[in-house]
Amino acid sequence: MSAPGIPNLLSSLRGGRGGRGGRGGRGRGGGRGGSTTTSSSQIHDTVIQGTDSDAAVSRLSAVELGYLDDPFARYFVPQAAPTTTPGAGAARRLPIINRGTYTRTAAIDRLVSQFLSSAGGQAQIISLGAGTDTRCLRLFSQQQQNHQHFGRITYHEIDFPAICRRKLQTIVANPQLRAVLPIDPTCTATPTIHPPPAFPHPPAPLTNIPPSSLNAPSSSTSPPTASKPLHPTTAPIFPPPPTSSTSGEDGGAVPYVWSTLPQNGSQLFCHGLDLRQLAAPTPHNPVTLTGLRTDLPTLLISECCLCYLPPWESNSIISYFSSRIPDLGIVIYEPIRPDDPFGRMMVQNLAARRIAMPTLDVYQQPADQEHRLLQSGFGAVGYKTVDDIWESWVSDDEKERIDELERLDEVEEWKLLAGHYIVVWGWKGQASFSELSGTLET
Amino acid sequence: MADLDRAIAQLRACRPIPENEVRELCHKARELLIEEGNVVTVQAPVTICGDIHGQFHDLMELFRVGGDVPDTNYLFMGDFVDRGFYSLESFLLLLCLKVRYPDRMTLIRGNHESRQITTVYGFYDECLRKYGSANVWRYCCDVFDYLALGAIVLGASNTLSPSTGAGGGSSEPIPPELGLTEDDIEIEVRNADGHIMSRFPRQERARRAAAAAAAAARRSNSNGSPTNGAAPAPPEREVVVSAPSNTGPPGSGASGSSGGSVGNPAGAVLCVHGGLSPLIDKVDKIRLLDRKQEVPHEGAMCDLLWSDPDEIDGWGLSPRGAGFLFGADIVKVFNHRNDLSLIARAHQLVMEGFKEMFDATIVTVWSAPNYCYRCGNVAALLELSEDESGLGTYARSNGDVNRSDGGMGDGGGGGGGGGGGQRGVLAENELMSLRMRPGPARRYRVFQAAPQDSRGMPAKKPVADYFL
Repeated sequence: MSAPGIPNLLSSLRGGRGGRGGRGGRGRGGGRGGSTTTSSSQIHDTVIQGTDSDAAVSRLSAVELGYLDDPFARYFVPQAAPTTTPGAGAARRLPIINRGTYTRTAAIDRLVSQFLSSAGGQAQIISLGAGTDTRCLRLFSQQQQNHQHFGRITYHEIDFPAICRRKLQTIVANPQLRAVLPIDPTCTATPTIHPPPAFPHPPAPLTNIPPSSLNAPSSSTSPPTASKPLHPTTAPIFPPPPTSSTSGEDGGAVPYVWSTLPQNGSQLFCHGLDLRQLAAPTPHNPVTLTGLRTDLPTLLISECCLCYLPPWESNSIISYFSSRIPDLGIVIYEPIRPDDPFGRMMVQNLAARRIAMPTLDVYQQPADQEHRLLQSGFGAVGYKTVDDIWESWVSDDEKERIDELERLDEVEEWKLLAGHYIVVWGWKGQASFSELSGTLET
Repeated sequence: MADLDRAIAQLRACRPIPENEVRELCHKARELLIEEGNVVTVQAPVTICGDIHGQFHDLMELFRVGGDVPDTNYLFMGDFVDRGFYSLESFLLLLCLKVRYPDRMTLIRGNHESRQITTVYGFYDECLRKYGSANVWRYCCDVFDYLALGAIVLGASNTLSPSTGAGGGSSEPIPPELGLTEDDIEIEVRNADGHIMSRFPRQERARRAAAAAAAAARRSNSNGSPTNGAAPAPPEREVVVSAPSNTGPPGSGASGSSGGSVGNPAGAVLCVHGGLSPLIDKVDKIRLLDRKQEVPHEGAMCDLLWSDPDEIDGWGLSPRGAGFLFGADIVKVFNHRNDLSLIARAHQLVMEGFKEMFDATIVTVWSAPNYCYRCGNVAALLELSEDESGLGTYARSNGDVNRSDGGMGDGGGGGGGGGGGQRGVLAENELMSLRMRPGPARRYRVFQAAPQDSRGMPAKKPVADYFL
């Protein structure tokens, strides 16, 4: 994830711990960035994809130290060498980072859970730039164990094709993940498949239409073995795509996708797609997302994803969905306040890692973020900084539990860092957002 | 001694010294430190520094700005290690200088000088990485146990001596229309090049405080500070040039209750990493602690290293999970009881490098610029000048005389913009009767992070962590 050649603070400080590719990103990103092309946009793409490894390691760190309960996190971080540090796990981050990972994850979990409850029956979640995110695994696993009584969930993850393939490989390679997300190498994606014997090659996904004319890095190490048509059992579930009538230009309109049927009629679709493809002018956008339902209450999640795109693209992507789906909620998590001393240093440091966040220039303050959603047609817009979320959404008991995990001697720094990230949400359509926000404040 | 000078030269170049030399150095340092009391007595002039946190290149910048050892008499208030890349080099250099110039270098313990904390925040890992074993970490931790818990600065002057740090004696004259002399300056802020950024005269402060008191309930919108723009601010940051309308330097909340008459020697200054403890009402009680141990999770020793001042009354729970929060009333009573004019402490990041609180009875000094390569803050050091009136050395014994001539009217209920913290444990009038000793004249030098590759030293380009 770090730009090549720039040593990493943590991996340097933490000796063997960070240097194994966990933070380096090279370890797990075999299928990522093409080595032959070095255009700046592709470098940027590679760097942005690398931020996903960053998030995965942070997630694992928070899980191993007890901040978060997520049995799936460890499968998405390359195997780490044992460390000699007392009490240190495979990928330990500093307490301030762990607390941030916890707070942001808990906040979005809570918004998702409130959304699913208020939706009542069937609902749809679209996670932009999902990467190695484990939220769908956790949700489906809760469903399996009847811990949560959500209705059917149609869950879409969208990320670069290489990341999508990689996720599929990870799931196929781990029975614990397959137990939640049944993936069948023979493409019979049913909840009752038997574990496959061995995989000389990555399994064929259920649906595997190679992306054409994508600006995405080519996957040189692990091309999918076969292209198979849509699985017949899943086909009837799909309503006709709303824009199918206009999408006749070429066969590349439907991007690479794999899908699975976890349980209870829920579905997961993993779309390998450069999000920018969704930013084309809406009426003529030829991209069709397989399995996208327009008739369901839908929650669109951008967890540090849209911030990597120019504002116009990010807004076009939002309107790709809002123009199709009447009942749409949105949750955006991204940095803010680039203009104070901490923020200026943040922009500078990220630039040194070749990470640019164009939306940060435009939506600098919480009010700007609020305005952004209002302009996109959302009502009932609200926001909290991560600092606010820690203060007001995390219960005293939970705070006490977290405080006991690690002594946080970074109080002032926490205020600074957490004050520079925001969760902003909004809703349009029938479902009442006040219902949603009301219960959040408990 | 030749060995020591060679080690100093090597460490100044940011190159670690061999393990056996570390062992020997730590052994010598322990022999030296064991002779020091829990509270070291230091004579002004002295330059007081806050957290360093392994930011070696910034420590070099500090020495450039504050003057080199042994020319400058330094007092470091702990947190030498953790977080930065070069905890090892930073701490060993300071330790070498301590052993080489014991009378010009005072090191007191911070909460990061601890086995437990260094395993979480980086120093342990750094030692392991640089030596392949934890031996050096163990030697250093053994030294930590012997570091003093605090220091008392005696003989600090009410007036500033000419600047001798970076930029030499550059002394911009005070505009004559102000009718002030150099001796009237209580607080002076200089940038890293020695240029004056702002000045705050004692008498003017006292006058303004009196005006504020007279204006009592009315909005005391006393006229803009004439000290504005005494020097151009460095363009790179928005520093504190403009004085907030009716206080001292930014965050000082100082408004005149410390304004005594010029010429008195200042009271003593207590230096400690964190702050006060509910178990410690007299400085002498610190002297009774058994300090030669790992920092405990609770108790007086823990509090001294972990506590923070806050805008509260009395004592409060600390968000850090160790130590306490303490309010203005606590500080004022403690200072009065112990004949102190000021407490200097570190421990908390402040974006401007220093922050005076509670009518300038306590100041936070922070010496790690752009902390963790991420926070974008500037750093500061605090210079206290030597009192040459001949009164300074017995200042502690004539406190009662001094205390009776405070510069404040009685019934004013003043305290001006001191902000909160005066209610509670003591009634306001009682507190006001605790006329504080005049604070020593204070010169802050503010500096920024050194470019990592600026000194021909090996440097890693830092990559700070964010939530991505």
